[in-house]
Amino acid sequence: MNAPSDRRELSFRDLEPILAVASKLAAPFDLETMLAEVVDAGARVLRADRGSVWLYDRNTDELVLRVAHDIVPIRIPAGTGIVGTCARTREIINVPDCYADARFDPSTDRRTGYRTRCLLTLPLVDHKGVLVGVMQLLNKAHGVFDAADAALGRVLAAQCAVALQRTLMMEELIEGEKMRQQLETARVVQMSTLPAVMPEVPGYDLYASFQPADLTGGDTYDLALVGERLLVVLGDATGHGIGPALSVTQMQAMLRMAFRLGADLETAYLQVNNQLAERLPADRFITAFIGLLDPKSHMLRFHSGGQAPILCYRAAGGACVDYKPTSFPLAAMPLERLRPATTVELEPGDVLALVSDGIFEHPNAAGEQFGEPRVRELLARHHRKSTAELCAVLLDEVRAFAAGAPQEDDMTIVLVKRAGAAATRSFRRSFDSLAAIFAFTAETMGPGLARTVDFVLEELFTNVVKYGPPSDVPVRIDVARIAGGVEVTLIDSDAEAFDVTRAPEADTRLPLEQRQPGGLGIHLVRKMVDSIDHSYSAETRTSRVTFRKTETQDAED
Amino acid sequence: MLRIDHGAPGTVRIAGRLDAAQCPAAQAFLDKVSGTVTLDCAGLEYISSAGLGLLLKTQKRLMSSGGKLRLAGVSRHLRDILQYSGFDQIFEIAAD
Repeated sequence: MNAPSDRRELSFRDLEPILAVASKLAAPFDLETMLAEVVDAGARVLRADRGSVWLYDRNTDELVLRVAHDIVPIRIPAGTGIVGTCARTREIINVPDCYADARFDPSTDRRTGYRTRCLLTLPLVDHKGVLVGVMQLLNKAHGVFDAADAALGRVLAAQCAVALQRTLMMEELIEGEKMRQQLETARVVQMSTLPAVMPEVPGYDLYASFQPADLTGGDTYDLALVGERLLVVLGDATGHGIGPALSVTQMQAMLRMAFRLGADLETAYLQVNNQLAERLPADRFITAFIGLLDPKSHMLRFHSGGQAPILCYRAAGGACVDYKPTSFPLAAMPLERLRPATTVELEPGDVLALVSDGIFEHPNAAGEQFGEPRVRELLARHHRKSTAELCAVLLDEVRAFAAGAPQEDDMTIVLVKRAGAAATRSFRRSFDSLAAIFAFTAETMGPGLARTVDFVLEELFTNVVKYGPPSDVPVRIDVARIAGGVEVTLIDSDAEAFDVTRAPEADTRLPLEQRQPGGLGIHLVRKMVDSIDHSYSAETRTSRVTFRKTETQDAED
Repeated sequence: MLRIDHGAPGTVRIAGRLDAAQCPAAQAFLDKVSGTVTLDCAGLEYISSAGLGLLLKTQKRLMSSGGKLRLAGVSRHLRDILQYSGFDQIFEIAAD
C-alpha cells in the first residue's frame, strides 16, 4: 500500500489541519498527554472515528500500547499482526475491509463490542529514521481510507513521530535527573556522617580526607574517640550508584553505635558483618579496616575485611611495612568467628596510612595506575610532615600523576601519626646513670618541665635498678613533644611483669625483702603528672611506663 | 574479551578479563551451573571487584544447595588478589 501512486500534492485545505496539529504538538506535554494529542490529531486530520498509538520498545523488539495509567500495557512482537508488520516494514498498511483481511485480529472487537470496518496503520519514524512506534486509525467517517488519506497520513505521521520522540527523550532526561538527584542525596548522606573535626588525641596527629568521585564510589572513614580509645575506620563498598554510598554509611553508623554501646572489636565486627550480609545483595561487599587504638599504650588492634594494603611507616626502620587483612570483606558471608585481630604497637614517629583503592588505582591518560609503590615512597619521604601536609602531598601527587585523567572512584586517606620522639637515649642500669638522665632531660625540655620529669624518672629508674632482675640490657627513655608539654616513656626490655604505676603504698614497717618494689614515691608521681600508664608484653619482656606533663598543669601546682 | 565454557565434567574454564563489562555474560553462564564446580582460572588474566562479586554470588548460590565453587589454576597474581581481599577464606583453592 505504498505505491508511488499514493503520493500527490497536498492541497492548502489538507495542510491547514496538519499545521494546526504541528503547532499543538510542539507544546511540552508529558508522554500521556502527547500520546492522546497524537491520536486526536490523527483522528481529526484523517477523519477517523478513533485511533491508538503503539510505542516501539527497542530493548524487547515489541510494540507497547498503554491502555490506561493503572493497567499493564499490551505488548505485541514486531512482525506480528498488522501493527507488528507495519513496524517491521515501515510501510503504511491500508485495510479497507478488516473482516476480509486475515491479518486482522477481531478479538478486541469481540471484547469491546466495537466494530472495526477499516484501518489505516502508519509507521511513526522520526527525522533521523528512528522507529518511534505505530499509529493506527479506525473507521473513516463515511467510507474507507484512500490513497489521499495515506499521503496525508505520511506527513502527519512524521510530525507525530518527532513530537513523540522529543517527549520520550524529555522523559528520559527527567528520569536521569531524578536519578542524579537521588545520587546527590545519597552523597549528602554519605558526607554528613564523616567526622566534622578531627578528634584531639594527645601524642597523636590525625588527619583524614574524602574526595568523592563525580558519580560513583562508596568510601567512608571514621576517626572518633570512643571512651578512651580511638576508632579508626576506612571502608569501600563495591559497585556503582546509590547503593554503595548508602551501604558504607550504614556500616559506619552501625560501627559507631556498636562501639559506643561498649562492644569489643570482635563483637562489633561480627555483628556488623552479619547484619550487612543479610541485607546487601549477594554480589555486594564492603572492604573495611576497623581498628581501635589505645593512645596510652599505643597499641592498635584491628580487623580488616579485605582492605589492603594497610600501610604503616615505621620511623625506626625508615620504611613502610604492610599488614594483611584478617578476614574477607564485610557482607560477603555471615561469620561465626574471626581469626585473631592484628595488633600493632605504634612507636614514636610511626604513621598508619589507610588509603582507598581510588588512590592506588587512579589512572593517568596512558591508563597506568598510581600504584602502591608511589604511596609507600611518598610516606617514607614526607613522614616528618604533619598528617594534614602529608595528606595534601599525597593528593597533589595523585593529581599531578593523573594529569587531567578523570577521577573514577572515591579517594580516601586516613592518617594516624604518633608524635615523633624529640629524643631517645639509653642508660645503663645503675644509680650512676641518674646524672646522665638529668642531663638528657635538660637538653630536651625547659627547666620547669624538667624539674617534674626528673623527679618521676628518678623514681621509676631507681625502681628498675633496685627491684628489676640484673641485666645488661640498657633502659631506654623517649621524650616526645605534645601540645604544651612532653610525653616521656621509659622502656625496659628485660623486665618481669609488674605494673609500677599500680604499686601499693609502701609499708615502711616491713623489712626490705618483704616489700613490694616501688611504692614510696608512686602516689606522689601520680599527682605530679597529667597521666601515667604502664604496659607489659610477656613475649618481648618489655615494660613501658609513659607519662605526660604539660606546662599549664605545672603552673597550677 | 572473556571466554567461559565447560571443560571436563564438573569443570568450568574461564579465560581472559573478568571485569564489570564482562560480568553479565559470565553470570548468565555461571547461573546455570550446579553442585560442586571447579572453576579453572588458568587462562584468567584479570579480575575486578565486580568479578569477585560474581564469584561470591555464585559461591553463595551453590553453597545454599550443598555445593561449592573451587578455584583451580590460580595464578600468582590471582592468588595475591584473593589473599589481599581475604577471599581466600571463602573459596577453596586447589593446589596445582
